[in-house]
Amino acid sequence: MEAFVPGIYPRSEALVQATRDLDRGRTTAEAVEAKRAQDLERLVEVQREAGLDLLTDGMLSWQDLFRPLVEATDGLKTGALTRFLDTNTFYRAPQAEGHAVRLTQPLDERYVAPLPAARFVTLPSPYAFSVGTGLTPGAIAEGVLKPQLEQVDAELVVLSEPFLARAERPTLDDLAAALERLTGGPRLALQITFGDAGPLVERGLFELPVDGVGVDFYATAATAVPEGTDKLLLAGVLDARNSLLEDPLELASFGSQLEQRVERVALVPNGDLQYVSEAIAREKVLRLGRAKAQRAEEAA
Amino acid sequence: MSSNGDIKLLTHEIGSLAKPPWHVKTSAGRAVDESDFEHARSWGDRLGVDGHEELVELLQRTEPSDKRTAEVANWSSRYALRLLESAGIEWVYDGEQQRTEMYAWAIEHANGFEPRGTIRSFDNKYYSKSAVTGPISLATPYHNDEFSFLKSAAQHKLKIPVTGAYTLAIWSYDEFYGPSQGRLGGGASRKDEIRARREFALDIARNLIRPNLQALIDLGAEWIQIDEPGASTEEDELELFVESFNVSVEGLDCVFSTHLCFSDYDLFFPAIEGMSECRQYCVGFANYDSRELGTSASDRPGYEVISKFRDLPYEPALGLGVLDIHTDFVESPELVRDRILYAVDVFGDPARIHVCPDCGLRTRSWDVAYDKLVNMVAGTKLAEEALSHSLARSR
Repeated sequence: MEAFVPGIYPRSEALVQATRDLDRGRTTAEAVEAKRAQDLERLVEVQREAGLDLLTDGMLSWQDLFRPLVEATDGLKTGALTRFLDTNTFYRAPQAEGHAVRLTQPLDERYVAPLPAARFVTLPSPYAFSVGTGLTPGAIAEGVLKPQLEQVDAELVVLSEPFLARAERPTLDDLAAALERLTGGPRLALQITFGDAGPLVERGLFELPVDGVGVDFYATAATAVPEGTDKLLLAGVLDARNSLLEDPLELASFGSQLEQRVERVALVPNGDLQYVSEAIAREKVLRLGRAKAQRAEEAA
Repeated sequence: MSSNGDIKLLTHEIGSLAKPPWHVKTSAGRAVDESDFEHARSWGDRLGVDGHEELVELLQRTEPSDKRTAEVANWSSRYALRLLESAGIEWVYDGEQQRTEMYAWAIEHANGFEPRGTIRSFDNKYYSKSAVTGPISLATPYHNDEFSFLKSAAQHKLKIPVTGAYTLAIWSYDEFYGPSQGRLGGGASRKDEIRARREFALDIARNLIRPNLQALIDLGAEWIQIDEPGASTEEDELELFVESFNVSVEGLDCVFSTHLCFSDYDLFFPAIEGMSECRQYCVGFANYDSRELGTSASDRPGYEVISKFRDLPYEPALGLGVLDIHTDFVESPELVRDRILYAVDVFGDPARIHVCPDCGLRTRSWDVAYDKLVNMVAGTKLAEEALSHSLARSR
């Protein structure tokens, strides 16, 4: 059983204060970057302490799931401040300026920070990215995500999909075609965050051309996962919107239950951990690691 | 309508304003410097704050103490009041100068919550978030002191912003009402979650908000604005938002309004048909609107939904958000005018249109906030003139 933490990780209280100070003209951009580097160092440490399999940089410079890519793409611009699902956090909704989009400059180290060991990267899913733009997921995949993926050096890319589970009449055909355009590079996983993936499973979620599928198990029944799938199941078992700390034994036991249905399981949060404070996120990550270790002990 | 038969539109603020640097520093126990004295001096002159030299002296000559911090906070309220009053706003408050923040202030004065750290709202903006960990009650009425002070300092009428029960519930973590274990893999249904949140929100309404409102009414409050920016967070909980509002205000003798912002407002219908105690909805629209002039529906895409507010059976007024609070772009009086004229045309009754910003202006500098508010009032006057001319021609 693997474990890792996709998505945007919260900023420490020190980095929060530094960015507030920057906005008020009380500190410099360099000082904020130094704090951000400390946050990254600490995040790497906690992942190592937890024994996670793949490291993340926590997307600590990302304003939201879309903005760095929107700003680096001809044909896209940032739109209205929009509530992110049922949270009190907002993002700038991507807007299209025409029908053609082209990533002009792949994200540099500011947005995909170098890491000292095997890593993965989180990017927006082509469906989520296309919502509200009038563009197809395929156009986003071809024009933005594919050129970005070509520059990514990672063991896995998690495509974060927060909107599909809440779509009124979701169809996976467009998404499947978009994902097809992204194959051939790093391994891909599509993670359905913060929502019931059950109806999507019925429509063929596990048949999509990706190596892994992520499911939020605070909103989805364990029985929704098709038995015997060869996909890596990213099991969303840390509740990223709740301050309650998970019991590692309960997580391990649930992971074991899932392993009876599917061969490969990775324990992950059910979405970005930025919806809890850094102190809580850190403790959750450590508990995720303990759950993985517990499961390994049981298996041995 | 005014006594001479001309059309008159009510203007009001929404809530927060940025805190001046000398207030922020003294609250944080940091030293003030010449730039703070200059800020207090120049804004005191600009806004015509009576006796503002006393503030400069207070900042320059006194040692930090709790007494000085409280006095500086009162000066901050006087400045904010005058900022709004001198811009020409009719119904004002103090930009929440005495409060930490709309969520944190309420929670700090409640029993049953524990802090759980800082969460990003957007970019470099954050909010503190707490968890409910036990039974909820009011520790102490938390707007009485500021309201009593503001009554003595205000020249215009006061509308008090109070954070609503549903928003406090949805912005908090739940470590008390819902199950702490057994939720994985279908162990807890959405119905269970809603049941837990209902109990949570209604406990806040009954045990925290209602006694706080009653305390304000006892002090003479005429208009209380229940702020519910989180109201539409969960599409399937809108009935719960309505129920928590009704439980908060039912039978209390005051004018109650609700502030909604940055949401898909279509979602509120038909749920808010059951919120008849709400006499006004003040709603942010400018954030979604075009900056081009024009009074047709196609010119005003951000205001498409307002006909639904018009058609509510209990005929509330609409507080029309005409200032985008997320940008330094200063709306021209003509743009404000056109937004108002479109809304009046849709409503067919200018008395049901009030004019306000989209939301609190705390993320803007005072310079920008002031320019926006001055133009809002100027635009309102242009709209009044246009409507009055139109009325005169039709007679």
